[in-house]
Amino acid sequence: MSKDLITSAVLKIAILAVLFAALPALLAYLGQGYLYQVVMLALIFSLLAVSLQLVTGIAGLLHLGHAAFYGVGAYIAALAGADYGIGFTLGLPLAGLGAAAIAFVVALPTMRLVSIYFAVATLGIGQMIFLVLQNWVEVTKGPNGVMLFTGIDLFGYTVDSELGTYFVVATIVCASIWVIHRLSHSYYGNALRSLREDDQCADAMGIDTVRLKIEAFMISSFFAGIAGALWAYTTGYISPMDFDFSESILILAMVVVGGLGSIPGAVIGALLLILLPEALRGVGDIRNIIVGFVLFFSILFLPKGLFGEVPALNFIRRQFGSAWQDNPDKQKVGWK
Amino acid sequence: MIDPYYLQQFTIGISLGMVYALMAIGFTLIFGVLNVVNFAHGEVYTIGAFAGIMAIAAFGPPFLVIVFIVLAVGALSGFSLERVAFRPFRRFSDEASLKSRAMREATLMSSLAMSIIAREAMELLFGSEFQTIDISYLINKPISLGPVTIVNGDIIIFLVSVLMLGGLQWLLKYSAIGLSIRAVSNNPLGAKYVGINTDRTIVLTFVIGSMMGALAGILVGLYYGAVFPSMGFIPGVKAFVAMVMGGLSSIPGAVIAALVLGVAESLSTTFMSSVWADMVAYLFLIVTLVFFPQGLFGARRERV
Repeated sequence: MSKDLITSAVLKIAILAVLFAALPALLAYLGQGYLYQVVMLALIFSLLAVSLQLVTGIAGLLHLGHAAFYGVGAYIAALAGADYGIGFTLGLPLAGLGAAAIAFVVALPTMRLVSIYFAVATLGIGQMIFLVLQNWVEVTKGPNGVMLFTGIDLFGYTVDSELGTYFVVATIVCASIWVIHRLSHSYYGNALRSLREDDQCADAMGIDTVRLKIEAFMISSFFAGIAGALWAYTTGYISPMDFDFSESILILAMVVVGGLGSIPGAVIGALLLILLPEALRGVGDIRNIIVGFVLFFSILFLPKGLFGEVPALNFIRRQFGSAWQDNPDKQKVGWK
Repeated sequence: MIDPYYLQQFTIGISLGMVYALMAIGFTLIFGVLNVVNFAHGEVYTIGAFAGIMAIAAFGPPFLVIVFIVLAVGALSGFSLERVAFRPFRRFSDEASLKSRAMREATLMSSLAMSIIAREAMELLFGSEFQTIDISYLINKPISLGPVTIVNGDIIIFLVSVLMLGGLQWLLKYSAIGLSIRAVSNNPLGAKYVGINTDRTIVLTFVIGSMMGALAGILVGLYYGAVFPSMGFIPGVKAFVAMVMGGLSSIPGAVIAALVLGVAESLSTTFMSSVWADMVAYLFLIVTLVFFPQGLFGARRERV
């Protein structure tokens, strides 16, 4: 038993305790619907930032249309709930799979592009999806948006309190971030990092770069779709303006501010960029201007982000514990 | 005989395309010199439009004076944009860091951040709705040419754009400034070695490109009578599409692509609802990127 392993267990328990005991207790004590909304928004954007981190930070593909896939998920969940009576249990995976399916179709032709060309292609695709959401009035109800009156139902049991909704959102966000965390700190994640560093070299070493890029894009869009479904069910009303280009930039700013390539960094960036404007709400509606300034100064002064990739990897390596210690009894696993 | 309706849509398309061309040239010049995309170009367009209508509201000068005011404001905003969002990231000038992806992405993000700040600041100052403009300054008075009715704005936009494009070609071909711009865009390090002040050239490129962008902004603002803080985003994307279609570093290519884009967009409203017209540009973008990655007129590039 090393010391690091204990810290790892303590850290996990601490995070879970805050998320599932301290925070809900505090929210229930304060008892304001608005605070619930802010906290759930922060959780949903954490998931969005982490899912974008997988594509932009780890696989190195600058993605400027993430909010569109978030929107696809939200619309699938909301329309399935409002028009077809498909509840949360089925609607949530459906939203993720729908977003991933669209990502697959989109990725097939565009994944061969590199750097700025890829960024522009995703911008174009994001705008196309946004136009469809806004103008395909027969299905998406256009700029009026979709109202969703049904609450979250879990296998027949309906959750209607705010506290219950909070627990559902927190559980799903935690589980999703955990999946991405394990995915990106594995051999698979290392393969994705090799794409970012030099995809021609990775190709030459036998890594199927196009397939990996498509997979990373689909996984990321899947979780964006999940986040969209959570958003639709927590607010009960979605409109195309929630998923426009500035939202994509907001998510990207979270990733850049937190540190490209670092999963904990993405969460920190999301919390900062959601909670800071809320804290400054009294000053006026300056959320986006704060986003702009935070983005600019973090690029200028902290180009590696608040919690950059190298410290994050070292941190996570320690959390994994014994696998990286020199242990004469066991065979080594993980990175060397 | 062509239906006059199509002829009319065609003229509208040409003047739309000319505006895209003015913006696309700004993009192309900056991309040629720095090899980076300036995401704040759309905001320069908005700033130009706002400068113009503020001048009109303040002292109602004649049209030509407005044009010069807008050009000056555009030059100023290009200069400060370069200072704030691009120069701090150009600390190293060896070849590796000039071509590095990290530097490109840093300036991409910083120009994006600047565009957010500029747009939101304008929204705070002016509100997000349409601004009121003195009716007598709008350039949409109808003129009949046989069966076709166009507005005087079409002619003004066409003339001003042709003048600007011609002037730019002259500048690039026959002046010392143009020579240094071409040298830096050809090989920045080589230009530096033969004694060209590259920093000054880059600033000048931003100034020229932003002047064109700002002018496009006021022309469109007066043509449609619609000036609002987020007006720059969509034309910015379309100008970018034109630049990519034209092959990234080719100015004539960008102009032709912008005209094609403008005409296609204006003719497409015949066949579908105008809300879908933006889709045409995005489709063009994806099709060009996937099938003609070097652009329609560009020289071969290594990888896209």
